[in-house]
Amino acid sequence: MNVPVVRSLVGGALASIVLLGLAAPAWAVPSYARQTGMACSTCHTVFPELTPFGREFKLNGYVLDNMKQIRGITIERQETLSLNSIPPISAMLQVSYTHTQMAVPDSVAANAANGALARDGDLLFPQQASLFYAGKIADGLGAFLQLTYDGAADHFGFDNTDVRFAHHLALSGASDNDLILGLTLNNNPTVQDAWNSTPAWGFPFAGSNVAPTPAAATQIDGTIGQNAGGLGGYLWWNHSIYAELSAYTASKVGGSHPLDSSQGPALHGLNPYWRLGWETRWDQNALFLGTYGIEAHIQPGGVAGTLGGETDKYTDYAVDGQYQYITDDHILTVLGTYIHEKQRLDASSQFGLSQNVDDTLNTMKLAANYYYRREIGGAVGFFNTIGTADNLLYPAGVPVTGSSSGAPNSRGFIFEVNYLPFLNVKLQLQYVKYLKFNGATTDYDGVGRRAADNNTVYLLGWFNF
Amino acid sequence: MNKTASQLIVLGALACSTQLAVADVSDSDKKAAAKMATEVCASCHGPAGRSTAPTFPMLAAQQPAYLETQLKAFRDQTRGDPDAIAYMWGMASQLNDDTIVALADYFGKQTPAPGRAGSAAAITAGKQIFQQGVPSLQIPACETCHGKDAAGIGAIPRLAGQHAGYLLKQMLVIQNVLRTAPVMHGVVKDLSRQQMEAVAAYLASL
Repeated sequence: MNVPVVRSLVGGALASIVLLGLAAPAWAVPSYARQTGMACSTCHTVFPELTPFGREFKLNGYVLDNMKQIRGITIERQETLSLNSIPPISAMLQVSYTHTQMAVPDSVAANAANGALARDGDLLFPQQASLFYAGKIADGLGAFLQLTYDGAADHFGFDNTDVRFAHHLALSGASDNDLILGLTLNNNPTVQDAWNSTPAWGFPFAGSNVAPTPAAATQIDGTIGQNAGGLGGYLWWNHSIYAELSAYTASKVGGSHPLDSSQGPALHGLNPYWRLGWETRWDQNALFLGTYGIEAHIQPGGVAGTLGGETDKYTDYAVDGQYQYITDDHILTVLGTYIHEKQRLDASSQFGLSQNVDDTLNTMKLAANYYYRREIGGAVGFFNTIGTADNLLYPAGVPVTGSSSGAPNSRGFIFEVNYLPFLNVKLQLQYVKYLKFNGATTDYDGVGRRAADNNTVYLLGWFNF
Repeated sequence: MNKTASQLIVLGALACSTQLAVADVSDSDKKAAAKMATEVCASCHGPAGRSTAPTFPMLAAQQPAYLETQLKAFRDQTRGDPDAIAYMWGMASQLNDDTIVALADYFGKQTPAPGRAGSAAAITAGKQIFQQGVPSLQIPACETCHGKDAAGIGAIPRLAGQHAGYLLKQMLVIQNVLRTAPVMHGVVKDLSRQQMEAVAAYLASL
């Protein structure tokens, strides 16, 4: 296959990914409230951000219950069943309106060439609608399962999933020497994490899934998510030290199975994910510092034969931190992460999908949010992605999603005002301002689009019940 | 009989009656309570009932009869302050009487956390209210019921070493009749927020 064809395939794939599917997944689940009998504010500052108790609930396997159980025991009194009498089912609805500073080109090719634009201002009813099974399965075993209907894509899909088992180990009988050992089975590296500074549950907690977003993201920053299956073990010692080691492999959703080269990028073999962190709590404060990362071997797919032979190797090293100040009246959270990705693109370069064999991609995200009485609040976020220019990975001449310089660099701010009339309902106004998009400020795609044209106003009604 | 004297008589009777109500705890219940305290309660109330966040009260060395009364009030949904509703109505909903008594016994036997320093001026003012009350408002000395060292007795809670923020919030919710506490309603009715903060600072320092 010649390079222009590959380039157009890559460009088209990028466009569809960028335009259809990169909204941050982020949900809170009322069935946990039903299971525990506790209000949302117990586990969330404002959903989906977790409080220290919310982290404990998650790391304990989602199993804390305060409702009648359907039980089974053996003659030796061994428990064989402990099931909530009411299934932990809940639902989520997101309705949104997106407006970009300049509409994107009309997708009909002839009109695009003439500079015709799509209609700007897009109401999605729903943007997403989800059903959850979120709660206890058995003693020590719990789940977070999400099925999501995506309004723009018009399909139901398997979304974030985390099934985990946790066991307390009393060390030397001392009550202040507590150790939890756990296992997690999930489909998105960092979805199992209990801090909101990692990608799966990071800021922004919701965003438009129809506005243009930058072409480049590190593998751990949502690229692998929901096309992976992983099993890991973790420990949580004295409510302070967290350590985890997991391994992920390909688990592609949809398409042909067993996997062949018609599928998009697919993990190859077992890919290690690690996490280490330390949390300290004092008075109304909680501070967390951590590191995480993944070594992902990926077969690029999309070109016949790409599932054999060479693989691309992505190594993501990341640090993150989170500070929370939580009182009844005031809640302040500051969080951030920095991800450094080394890309060894042996397969992509061989198949003409990348220009270079070695690239890097670095992403920084910082955010601060404040709420008054969990009712009204605002947030400011900053993001910056810098990487090696690669004219095939980030091709020029593709309207909106292309990069005329081949550089993936994007930078900008996110501003939010949020109002919660109830703990489980969030009304959000978000503004995303791009200072740089896919490598440039003006004519970044080689077709005349400016970074600022992608500035986005996003209105969201988010209901959990 | 003046208001203060009648309040004290009611309190004395309450303390005696609930002291008698504390039952023996079996070894198996003790073991189960220790496990629950470590694996569940500790998430908020800290290891051995010594919490770090003032949202969650210290339970270490608390009077067992008081804990028993409160846990039953949570379970029966008769204590209705906002945090009780948000956190403890659910947490206590499935507790039976034996578990409640065992938990109360467990926390009552834990070592209390040391006091924490606060504003010297507030502590001095709070100490005066604690020891002498506010005669001009007919507010009795707190130590009359809670004891000179604020360790409590029977159903009257230990206050020494408690988080100042928690104590302040309890005085406010009692004053606003969100939490039912018959004697304390009369005591805190006319206390100003500044006086409450002073008493809370003193008690947290003990």
